[in-house]
Amino acid sequence: MLVSIVSYGLAVGAVYALIGITYNVMFSASRVFSFTAGMLGMLGGVLGALFINTMGMNAVLAFVLVMAAGAVLGLVTEILTVRPVLKSIEQHLYVLSTLAFALMIQQVTAIEYNTEPQPFPVLLPIDPNSWLGIVDQKFWLPVLACVVTIVGLELLYRKTLIGRAFLAIAEDSYAARALGLPETRLRMASYAIAGVIGALAGFTGAQMLLAFIGNQAILNFYGFVPVALGGMGSNRGAVIGGLALGLFQQAANFLVGGIFASVAVFAVFIIVLLLRPEGLAGAAAARRV
Amino acid sequence: MPTSAPESRVHEPLLQVSGLSAGYGKIGVLNGIDFTVGAGEVVALLGPNGAGKSTLLKAISGLLPRTGSIRFGGQDMSKADPGETVRAGLVHVVEGHRVFTQLSVIDNVMLAGYGLPRDKRTTQVEEALAFFPDIAAKRHDRAVTLSGGQQQMLAVAQGLVRRPRLLMLDEPSAGLSPVLVDRVLAAVARLREAGTAVLLVEQLIEKALAASDRVYALARGSIVLEASTGEDDLPNRLERAYFGQDAHAPLAS
Amino acid sequence: MTDTAAPISATKAPTGLLGKLEGKISWIILGLVGLFLPLLDDNYIGVIAQRAYIYWVLSAGLNLVVGYAGQIAIGWVSMLTLGAYTTAALAAGRVGGVEWHPYLALIAGGAMGAVFGVIVGLPALRLRTFYFAMTTLGFATIVTQVALAWKDVTGGGVGTPGPNFPWPFEPGWGFYYFCFILAALATWITANIGASRYGRALVAIRDAEVAAEASGIAKPKLLILIFLLAGAMGGVAGGLFSSLQSYITPDAFTFEMSVLFFIGILIGGRGSILGPALGTIILTALPEFAAPLVQWSTFLYAALLLVIVLVIPGGIADLLDYKNRRPLEQHREIVPRPELLSRILDSKSELSTIALSGIALHFGGVRAIDGLDLEIRSGEVHGLIGPNGSGKTTTLNVISGYYRPNAGQLKLNGADLPFDKPYARAGYRIARTFQTPRLVGAASVLENVMIGGTIDGSGSFAEAMLSLPRHHRDEKRLKESAARALATVGLESLANVRADRLQHSELRFMEIARALMLRPAFLLLDEPAAGLSAEEIRRLGALIKAISREGTGVLLVEHHADLIFDICDRVTVLNLGKMLAAGTPAEIRSHREVVSAYLGA
Repeated sequence: MLVSIVSYGLAVGAVYALIGITYNVMFSASRVFSFTAGMLGMLGGVLGALFINTMGMNAVLAFVLVMAAGAVLGLVTEILTVRPVLKSIEQHLYVLSTLAFALMIQQVTAIEYNTEPQPFPVLLPIDPNSWLGIVDQKFWLPVLACVVTIVGLELLYRKTLIGRAFLAIAEDSYAARALGLPETRLRMASYAIAGVIGALAGFTGAQMLLAFIGNQAILNFYGFVPVALGGMGSNRGAVIGGLALGLFQQAANFLVGGIFASVAVFAVFIIVLLLRPEGLAGAAAARRV
Repeated sequence: MPTSAPESRVHEPLLQVSGLSAGYGKIGVLNGIDFTVGAGEVVALLGPNGAGKSTLLKAISGLLPRTGSIRFGGQDMSKADPGETVRAGLVHVVEGHRVFTQLSVIDNVMLAGYGLPRDKRTTQVEEALAFFPDIAAKRHDRAVTLSGGQQQMLAVAQGLVRRPRLLMLDEPSAGLSPVLVDRVLAAVARLREAGTAVLLVEQLIEKALAASDRVYALARGSIVLEASTGEDDLPNRLERAYFGQDAHAPLAS
Repeated sequence: MTDTAAPISATKAPTGLLGKLEGKISWIILGLVGLFLPLLDDNYIGVIAQRAYIYWVLSAGLNLVVGYAGQIAIGWVSMLTLGAYTTAALAAGRVGGVEWHPYLALIAGGAMGAVFGVIVGLPALRLRTFYFAMTTLGFATIVTQVALAWKDVTGGGVGTPGPNFPWPFEPGWGFYYFCFILAALATWITANIGASRYGRALVAIRDAEVAAEASGIAKPKLLILIFLLAGAMGGVAGGLFSSLQSYITPDAFTFEMSVLFFIGILIGGRGSILGPALGTIILTALPEFAAPLVQWSTFLYAALLLVIVLVIPGGIADLLDYKNRRPLEQHREIVPRPELLSRILDSKSELSTIALSGIALHFGGVRAIDGLDLEIRSGEVHGLIGPNGSGKTTTLNVISGYYRPNAGQLKLNGADLPFDKPYARAGYRIARTFQTPRLVGAASVLENVMIGGTIDGSGSFAEAMLSLPRHHRDEKRLKESAARALATVGLESLANVRADRLQHSELRFMEIARALMLRPAFLLLDEPAAGLSAEEIRRLGALIKAISREGTGVLLVEHHADLIFDICDRVTVLNLGKMLAAGTPAEIRSHREVVSAYLGA
């Protein structure tokens, strides 16, 4: 049982962590939270099932296409729902524009694809009896994806100039603009990257979560909890928070059953936020008077 | 005999601003400013707080929306954004030594060369760092470990990476000890020797005058004084300009 | 230069019976349609109408939360769920074995909604917009899951029947009128609140929070009241819903419903009652009349929301507000009339003093204020000047209660003033203006100024809700005071103009009028001359001087040296958070060090 809790917990926690990172990447680039993180995760699974099961593509091609779709959706999010709102004085509008877009995509998917959870194919042809098959791939794929993403982002930020430009914009977008950095193009690139990460989360996690439009709402919330707890913009916090959340959720599921597990998670979420609105690792925002 | 440049090109100053107005939202700050900066000269822009000096620099570099005409190097820059002005050779070092504290010194300077071909960037980054050996020695340290004065020098170094024809410095002395202020102004002098024009916004009048060829005074959104730094009675004229023509009390000398 | 104000064509508020009717025509039409709808004897239309009424009962309450208070409570369908299950379970006797009478069950549903409305709303006081939106979503999911799991009470996935109300509100047209009456009641209550000082205070919190605090509006108390009311209305709507559906299951309460309520309000426009009502009616009825649309209805709603957010954030209400499109005269002059001040300010005989001693405040490593002593006395204009970053505005923010200093004391007549409580300053009659004008753009100038007098009302929230006489007396008095304040600063001809149409200088004077509503013993002005023309500065100076002659102690933080030297009785010069010099303007003007610091020699 412990093994089951740990494997499910870490795997689903890794998916949550990746969605949290998706939120963070979008936030760092624009200082705005977007409701599209869950949507990207959902589509990672749905599109994967569509390409592989329904259209018969091989897994590698499907993977590439799904990542590309994620990037495109990320770009559309930036252009359509974030950029117009950033110019406006009314700060809260981004909540509504990104929500509206995410809903539209969800509805199209529900109508054109299916409202019920659909099976997701086994991605890698691994013999469950071989040594590679000791741990089911549906558990280690998301964890691997999470590790790869973290490492990839680190390399991006530390080794490439564009990565450092992302960090600069996240820290001080005014100074970055004054220096002549192409703020808009960099923001678009950030959103495209976030799109890929979200799609990756959904694609690798779908063997567990299945291809289901309901995942959008689930991932929106449970992917946000690590961000809220770990601090806005902190990927480290998102990973720790995500894994902790996954383990907690599975343990609670096992001990007290599904409903109370959800209530427990929600209660912890609210209590932490009320005590420390900036998250456990974040810094309090100063008020402009 | 090579044909000489057309008359107008010879006489047109490096930076020519006419009728520039800008503000923040509904608050108008600048009312139709006219001024020029010639190639290779150092111009000081003085004025009391709230006069609009920083606003003027932001309007020129494209950080703020503005109306009016801005010509740089013979090109119209009235609608340019900061990226375009930087590429044209007009660089703005904003006030408050806003460097990226989470990045290293070398990364900060490299970012100033974003968009340049890699080898050019490396060369020019080293040139810029050579102006400030203290900073160059700390190249792999994160900018947050630098003192305020060192961060200011880092910010100026960032401004130099593009080999600007005109460098605009917004209050580089703010918060610096006198020794560091002199260091920064010495760098301004070296830039002048190298042929770079500098527009220097400053609070410290005497030091600014000592470093400049010409001076403008800005008060309440308009230019109230224009002079060469060699002229007589300049400090008194500046004081009067600062406190407005309504000043009744005689100035203590 | 003329002394009289130039005539200005501004919109005038409609007065008299015809005026009162003008705003109400739409409601009268809606009311008549609703009243006589049963004559059509069409059950299908009747059900649609009932559903619209029920949704409106919930949305009217949510409108106060979203439209007025600006809180993005996306998961509000949870109130409907709670109310529906409470009413249904109690009426069916699933709790404690006793069958509750339907009316009592309905009231219980409302009470449940009220309690949880507050619980869900509390995080809004501390959380950022997106975080709060998320918590409401999470809560909605939880409620649905609890409904699924708690089989004894809710019937689990199978569901539970809803109650039938007895005569005269039996199922059919009887119940139709029940819903109609409650919808009308919901409209009346929320319209009353919207038009009261509470409504204005909500909008002030939404659009100009720091200014609301300076006017004495305590955000927590007001928001809790609103969440209580909105939750109760949502709960009652839920109870009605369970009766209309006659059988409820957890999957009847979808996220799409939450979105529908939300969109109805936003289409209608924030700060309006009629707009959201129309929006809700349209959105409820639309899918019924376009059958192929049913499947795509949520998609269309979401698309509509996106279009509204991007193109017309103000919603229908903005589009209908043609009154505010009439052009204003271009070259308007602001002519204050300081002689009117005696009607606003009561000249005090006792003298008061605000005293700062040893105040120190640092942000991170920066010492914003480094040991400051300062006194503001009644009847004096005290100027506070200094270079950028010297700590002037920070000092003002400490005095007005926004920042808590790390050391030092702040006393009013020897008694400590509390820190970190900007909304308490109004009670001490300490008023202030802001470096950048804070205003409610969508409200009229008069309404903006009335916000300044919020704490002077004596009518309670309930009295405002039910439009009782004391509330009307309050409103009348507030309007008159505000009109007087506007006349004093010279803006009376712009009273009914939308505040965001004013020029910057007019907004500065409007802030002063708002501050005057507190009949301040002390007035703290943060760079009021910034952006004003020379003539306007002269008039501002005369006004400030007159205010101080009425006994008010004025602290004037300024850059404009001429204004300072003209009207101040005392001047303190700050540099790097410390006092550099203090004295009369003449002394300061010739003080060598001051001149150097200013000129930076």
